[in-house]
Amino acid sequence: MTGPQALTRGRTRLALHPLRMGSAPHLLRLHALYRGATRLAAPPLEWPGAVFGLDFSGHADSSWVTGGAYTPELLAGDGDAALARIGPAFLAGEGIGAYVALLLAGARPDLVPAALLLPGAGLDGSGPVPDFSGSVEREWAEQASRPVTRGTAGDADPLVSALEYDARPVDYAAEFAAHARGLVLAEDGGPRPAWWETAARSARAQRVALGEAWNALRRAAGP
Amino acid sequence: MAPLRRGGSEAGTLAAMEQPSYPGAVAPERSRDLASVGVRLRLHEWGDPQRPPVLLCHGMFDHGRGFDTLAPLLATRFRVIAIDARGHGDSGWADAYAWFADIADIANVLRSLGRPAHLVGHSKGGGQATDAATLYPHLVRQVANLDGFGPSPEGFRPPGFELDTRSLPERFADFLDRRRADEERSWRPYPRLDDLVARRQRMNPRLSEAWLRYFLFHAARPVEGGWVWKVDPLAAGGFGPFKPEWIGRGWTGLEAPLLAVIGSEPDSWGPLPESLLEERLSHVRLLERATVQGTGHFIHMERPRETADLLLGWLAA
Repeated sequence: MTGPQALTRGRTRLALHPLRMGSAPHLLRLHALYRGATRLAAPPLEWPGAVFGLDFSGHADSSWVTGGAYTPELLAGDGDAALARIGPAFLAGEGIGAYVALLLAGARPDLVPAALLLPGAGLDGSGPVPDFSGSVEREWAEQASRPVTRGTAGDADPLVSALEYDARPVDYAAEFAAHARGLVLAEDGGPRPAWWETAARSARAQRVALGEAWNALRRAAGP
Repeated sequence: MAPLRRGGSEAGTLAAMEQPSYPGAVAPERSRDLASVGVRLRLHEWGDPQRPPVLLCHGMFDHGRGFDTLAPLLATRFRVIAIDARGHGDSGWADAYAWFADIADIANVLRSLGRPAHLVGHSKGGGQATDAATLYPHLVRQVANLDGFGPSPEGFRPPGFELDTRSLPERFADFLDRRRADEERSWRPYPRLDDLVARRQRMNPRLSEAWLRYFLFHAARPVEGGWVWKVDPLAAGGFGPFKPEWIGRGWTGLEAPLLAVIGSEPDSWGPLPESLLEERLSHVRLLERATVQGTGHFIHMERPRETADLLLGWLAA
């Protein structure tokens, strides 16, 4: 297996890991908050084509964003840079990666035949409305006022914690879900945020048990 | 295209010679830089550093030197500090921008002052000053918001601006396309500073040509082939969920007194319809309202003397 490929999105350098060589259909895996493409939570899978894993900005082998303004839309830009490199790909996202996969599936239906949404860190955000108390925002700013030096390789930028409290309104999620070609939402009986429940009700979405999720995505990929 | 240093080349020397003046405008007495969340912020200062501090926050696409006519009037009683927000004026550029990061910058500047300050903000800077005062009550004594109460549900409609009726995912795809192309962030140079003046005057028809020539001289830099904006092209171009009905909801936690100021004249960026403004301000506990007659959205630029008198009468020494 070769090492990660370097991508750039603006001034940010992103690490794209070829996890398995192969041809189409491609699969791009998007990791959970604070993790990385080589620290995926979901089990390994049988996928008929090439598999790539992207380190989002602020995570693992990718560079940290100057100024700390991490948003799901910024991470979707990271995923879009990977799609620009590898071409059309199925997505499998965990936690924040699941929400980013929804945004990409809605915005890039020409490049994303279907997306698998899996639970994981960063799935919730602040809920459908911002945290009006500002307490988490204050906590983020306290973190931001402390000097941080990049530690050992693989550490996440502490400021990616902003992705724990961004607002994810249901009508926003619904519009992206309506434009997606296919969504597979993995259920394990655990709680799911409002944006997830809304996306699951769209015409092209299906809920499946977590153990069946990969098979469902493979079926979406065809024979 | 490499920026030319003012005074360091023929174009720079020419630019320095042409530095415009404007009645009542006073350049900052001091400027300093402050590192905040990985970005270098430029701060401009007027007045005795021993006096109580007033921090000024500008609006979108503006910069701290836009207070060159207001600040010297406030400096008769205060130490006045104006921020160039990240991505604006002479501050550094970030990789990405978000409201919460600007608020963190304001908090860091407030901390650097060593004592609680008054906050005054215009437009976007007014909304951010109000949010910063809400989040950091121990750092802020009073806050004055100059027409920074957000857009109406229909959004801002400046002259020549067409409403984008595409779906969110289509607009986001467009946003992603532009990000793919922005590896080298730069503006197209305008041949002359007056071209920038004409461009901005179309957006803000209430601002005089003489003021815009002064204001935009500090908003742009000379490069080979003309002048470019200093502001980061990405600074205004974020994407994410936003609802006008969210504005004001957080201000229930505002402990500092708020002076909400609007202009008397309709303008493309404000003021809001009164019923909408009232609803947003209904969350504020200690509220005073004021209107500066004869001004539109750019209250302090249009009538600096009247704005200063209002603030000097309201801000506690």
